Amino acid sequence: MAESRKPSPPIASRNCDDPQIDYKEVAYLLKFLTPQAQIVSRKRSGFCTQCQRELKQAIKRARHLGLMPFVQ
Amino acid sequence: MTNTYEAMFLLDNQVVRADWRQAKTLVTDLLAKNGAKVLCARRWDERKLAYTIRGRTRGTYLLAYFEVDGPALNGMRRDFELDERVLRYLMLRVDALPAGELEKAAEEGVEGYVVPTPPTEESVSYERAVFGDLADRPIQEPSRRNHAPVEGPDADGEGDAAETNEAAVAEEI
Repeated sequence: MAESRKPSPPIASRNCDDPQIDYKEVAYLLKFLTPQAQIVSRKRSGFCTQCQRELKQAIKRARHLGLMPFVQ
Repeated sequence: MTNTYEAMFLLDNQVVRADWRQAKTLVTDLLAKNGAKVLCARRWDERKLAYTIRGRTRGTYLLAYFEVDGPALNGMRRDFELDERVLRYLMLRVDALPAGELEKAAEEGVEGYVVPTPPTEESVSYERAVFGDLADRPIQEPSRRNHAPVEGPDADGEGDAAETNEAAVAEEI
């Protein structure tokens, strides 16, 4: 029987009432990328649906401006 | 209906190196041309780009806030797309001008404010871009033992030597 892997802890906890995630906070957004620069899943980020959507939008805006990589 | 917008522009460093104020007015003029009331505009940062854009590895960001009617944005987009000095732009509607933004923008207007000259473009070789620090390492001869035996008169002798080495290691253990 295959051993069950312990799930890794969420990257960050976030209060949904906080101000919207900003694309200019690149250092914060970089935490939510995998080594290949993919956006991490909701399971890994620990965000709720709305927060994850904000995160996705912010990362994609930063990528467009050349602040963050598409691939690495 | 008039809205407040936040806009981030990625400017070519060559324009910035020539004159920052000219680079700034280049953007604010294009905004004003389309009927925008520019609230403030300031240098956000100069940094290395995450990927090459039109052959540039570095660029200067300009952050501007302005008020304009929504339909005027289409004309602005066309202008910025046509202008080769603007590498990228992003315009977003905001509810209000963020606090402290006017003060930061006013710092640039003070006499004696000097914009740091952007560093020169890094000329990165292809090997460095792909392999990073590995490109500097000396090339090592691959060890024979990990490869298929080489055809030739010496192949057998070397193979035996490798085997005896393995045997010696096994005895030590």
